[in-house]
Amino acid sequence: MSVPTEHLVILAGILFSIGVAGFCLRRNLIVMLMSVELMLNAANLTFLAGSRAHSAGGEPMLEGAVFAIFVIVVAAVEASVGLALVIALYRRQQTVSVDSLNQLGDA
Amino acid sequence: MNPYIEGMQALAPELVLTALALIVLVADLLTKGKDSRRMGYLTLAGLAVVGGMLALRLGEPSQTYFGMVIVDSFGTFFKLFTVAAVAVVCVFILSDKNERKNGIGEYYFLLLGASVGIFFMVSTNHLLLLVLGLELLSLASYALAGFHKGQRKSAEAAMKYVVFGGLSAGIMVYGISLLYGMTGTLDLAEMATLAGDSIPTGLVPQLYLSAMPVGVAMVMILAGFAYKMSVVPFHFWTPDVYEGSPTPVTTFLAVASKAAGVAALLRFVGALFPVDGVDEIIMWYGDRFGMLIAVLAAVTMTLGNLSALRQQSLKRMLAYSSIAHAGYILIGVATRTSEGFDAAMYYMTAYYFMNLGAFGVLLYFESALGSDRIEDMRGFGWKSPLISIAMVAFLVSLTGLPPTIGFYGKYLLFKVGVAEGLGWLVIVAALNSVVSLFYYFSVAKSLFLKESNDERPALSQPLFAGLLTAIGVLTIFFGLFPDSIQELVEMCSLLGS
Repeated sequence: MSVPTEHLVILAGILFSIGVAGFCLRRNLIVMLMSVELMLNAANLTFLAGSRAHSAGGEPMLEGAVFAIFVIVVAAVEASVGLALVIALYRRQQTVSVDSLNQLGDA
Repeated sequence: MNPYIEGMQALAPELVLTALALIVLVADLLTKGKDSRRMGYLTLAGLAVVGGMLALRLGEPSQTYFGMVIVDSFGTFFKLFTVAAVAVVCVFILSDKNERKNGIGEYYFLLLGASVGIFFMVSTNHLLLLVLGLELLSLASYALAGFHKGQRKSAEAAMKYVVFGGLSAGIMVYGISLLYGMTGTLDLAEMATLAGDSIPTGLVPQLYLSAMPVGVAMVMILAGFAYKMSVVPFHFWTPDVYEGSPTPVTTFLAVASKAAGVAALLRFVGALFPVDGVDEIIMWYGDRFGMLIAVLAAVTMTLGNLSALRQQSLKRMLAYSSIAHAGYILIGVATRTSEGFDAAMYYMTAYYFMNLGAFGVLLYFESALGSDRIEDMRGFGWKSPLISIAMVAFLVSLTGLPPTIGFYGKYLLFKVGVAEGLGWLVIVAALNSVVSLFYYFSVAKSLFLKESNDERPALSQPLFAGLLTAIGVLTIFFGLFPDSIQELVEMCSLLGS
């Protein structure tokens, strides 16, 4: 017996919401990047659920599964660039809080 | 012929551009970063080759390769646009007095990598390739924004760009996953025409089933485009990233990156919601989608112009002005007609000339004065008259007054807006143009009508000054004789022909 598609989609929705909430509420840049990863993984789960649901008829629908693999790659690259910039910031200011990003802005 | 080889031939400009990027990177490594100017010249030569290959393709019929890459005149138009913009950005880097001369070969590599991303982004109706192109562009842009990582402002700009970029990419990809789950396809053309029976496939059955979830997915996907074009409410990064990035990078973000967002959005709207849609529910839904874009356009241009009014820094002012211009371009998108799309493309061309020019003059002032404050430019017009007069031409064009290309671009947008029943939006845009007159002309006033208390002489950069003057002349020339660009745009039209 397999998990119903609805459950997967609801779980993905919950994951996405946690990601958005984490992004908006936390002040730590690393946690904000983690929240983005959570959002992308929610998308992956939805892709896989959709891929399975649409293959039910007969031949498999791999488009969604392939998209999920690409999203994993994109998420990894984005994390590496993001963390590299966090390190550049930390070396300069000894903090990873968004509140330290206050040099630019309307006077 | 073997379809694989055929596809590779069709992708020749992309392949050459990728090879060029790698050659520049390796060559810079092998020469140990000594005299990076040579890498700049190599990049310019390579871009000329790619531009020539693209120009020969204009007017060829549309074809799809590998099931996802569309090679058509519309894509070629925006690829040529990108090549031309990146070439000017390279000249900016070479002329930048504040830039180091050695060890900056990656600058060109990142620019070329971002261009490859744009090339794929503007030539596909497949959501997977769209996301990959967009991410390639974004990732290279993050690194470019933080290129001067030792400077606090540059590091901060890059960090803000990454954080907002990650958020909008996350929202967009989740929206795409929802849309895929509902329709069962990632190809926009297929999505618009499929009519499934047992499981809902295609957009039409899904809309009959329930329009609400499709709306949620559409708004989420729109977030990704809005971020690239800096449309409200995804504009927050724009002023800060533009201010903190090195000025050549700001130019790239303002011109090439925004054009890529516009092209991708035009393809998205054109494939899913053309105004003469096949099914009545698509027409009904498209009307609502168009109205959403029209409202975003009104909010974007108003917010951009009102915020630009109180800026002291020319760079920040141009950042807010670029937000406002994204709003004007959206008028053409909101009409969802072939004429509207053509007007948006024409306005992008106008935007290319006037913004490259304005950012070039900004770079010149930064080199000469070490400041981007409008106040510090007092009386500078009498010291370097040629560049300052060109700047006035760019400002007149940005405001949208004759006899410049910006006037004709706005005229086309307003005309199609009125014809398609968006009269209220055109009135908002016209009022906004009046507001923009104030801040654009405060720069001209500062240049020519105030006394200078700065004894420093003007910089002598004949090549750079010549380039800016040429862009200034073209800004006025195409305003007086708009037909040649009009013909080009009509040849490359997305929905027409």
